[in-house]
Amino acid sequence: MSGNQYSRNKKTHGHDDAIVVENVSKQFRIPHERKITVYQHLAGLIAGSHSYEIFDALKDVSLTVKHGETFGVIGPNGSGKSTLLKILAGVLYPDRGTVRMNGKIAPFLELGVGFHPDLTAEENIYLYGAIMGLTKRMVASKYEEILDFAELKRFENMKLKNFSSGMAVRLAFSTAIQTNPDILLVDEVLAVGDESFQRKCSGKIDEIRREGKTILLVSHDLGMVQKLCERGILLKDGRILSSGSSDKIVEDYKRMTLPHTS
Amino acid sequence: MWLMQYRDLIWNLTITDLKIKYQSSVLGFAWSLLNPLLMMLVLYFVFANVFRFNQEQFALYILVGIIAWRFLANGTSTAMLSIVAKPSLVTKIYIPRHILVLSSTLSCFISSILEFCVLIPLLFIFGANITPYILFFPIAHAIFFFIVYGLSLVLAALYVYYRDLNQIWEVVIQLGFFLAPICYPITIVPPQFLPYYVLNPVTILIETYRNFLIYGVPPGLRSMVYLVISAVLLMIAGKFVFNRLERRFAEVI
Repeated sequence: MSGNQYSRNKKTHGHDDAIVVENVSKQFRIPHERKITVYQHLAGLIAGSHSYEIFDALKDVSLTVKHGETFGVIGPNGSGKSTLLKILAGVLYPDRGTVRMNGKIAPFLELGVGFHPDLTAEENIYLYGAIMGLTKRMVASKYEEILDFAELKRFENMKLKNFSSGMAVRLAFSTAIQTNPDILLVDEVLAVGDESFQRKCSGKIDEIRREGKTILLVSHDLGMVQKLCERGILLKDGRILSSGSSDKIVEDYKRMTLPHTS
Repeated sequence: MWLMQYRDLIWNLTITDLKIKYQSSVLGFAWSLLNPLLMMLVLYFVFANVFRFNQEQFALYILVGIIAWRFLANGTSTAMLSIVAKPSLVTKIYIPRHILVLSSTLSCFISSILEFCVLIPLLFIFGANITPYILFFPIAHAIFFFIVYGLSLVLAALYVYYRDLNQIWEVVIQLGFFLAPICYPITIVPPQFLPYYVLNPVTILIETYRNFLIYGVPPGLRSMVYLVISAVLLMIAGKFVFNRLERRFAEVI
């Protein structure tokens, strides 16, 4: 438990790098029997069953992402991509190592976090905006823009439970995109809505990228990583297998998986 | 400072809680008032007519006790679930997690204030001795808030790991209802137990509410100091336990 640190810095100036990760390791304890009640803990004390397995989700991972860079993280399932992203978002704490984030973060680990089905679209915009770190006044000034982008102006007073899942996701994306972050953490949530809305979304992401914002993208879509990212890392079993230009890591990933697929 | 930075979020979550609770607007709130009034009627009937307790203004005595108790009982048992009830706000985004407990406690706090507001006309109808000391209410209720919040922080953090805690707590709350002078006068407590009995901050709190709401007596300085110390200790315990357990919330939720 020593030497683990997570720090956030609201200001971007004075720091060359947006994300600095040094020697981060994360272990999960997976108990053979999951105890979630007082009763089970007491029973476990008597029976003396404390066995668990240790799963190394991340082992000694270091990386730096410069301001304005689009950085890709790829790897097979269970390689630690999501764990890394959650540590960067501050949801999980690293066991060892340090993480420094310089700038305002917008985590897109899931769209529509905190959406409530019994609230109207309008109420959900304000709630979700607040969760994403916007003040009430900021949401109010962007309100029309959000509804226009989501193409949901007609439904502003409808309860979310009557929305289709596509509509809900559109509403979420349009709200979340207003956060105006310095660092965007994205976990394969870009594929939202129908095709025309998807085009609009990737257009918006491209726009953010051109504005010089930092984006860290976790994806299975190798083509998208190659298209969007300048650099990246390839993770396997919690370790960095290769790092460098996105073409290089995608190439390495293909070579790694080739024997299994052929 | 986190309170300023997240004040819009705290307020939004609190209001959302209330909106959902009183979904059917007017009727929703009316229902929530019916509960303490019916409780009061039943308890009044049992304890005034069957046990024949002799306590001045016994109907109001019981009602104030119940309304005050409801904040503790509802507040802690709702806020205990606040972390587990919103898993995506813990695992998908970072916000200081005690905000969830705070907004849940706040929404119960507002409900409680509304219940006390409904009590005011009843104070006049039943002829309570209303004096300016009634203005102690905001101070007492603020102290009460921190007692409930501190307790809720401990419970909410533990509940993430021990999912049957709510059932255990339900029993504790039921026991507590009879360990505090809610439905009986404090005078029936045997004198040899009295020194221990008044150690319970809830006892002191309920008696304090009654003093300035019904009997027109100012709260004693010693009682107030005792309540403030209790609130501070509970807040320290709450912050300590919560901060220790918070780090692994996202892994076990």
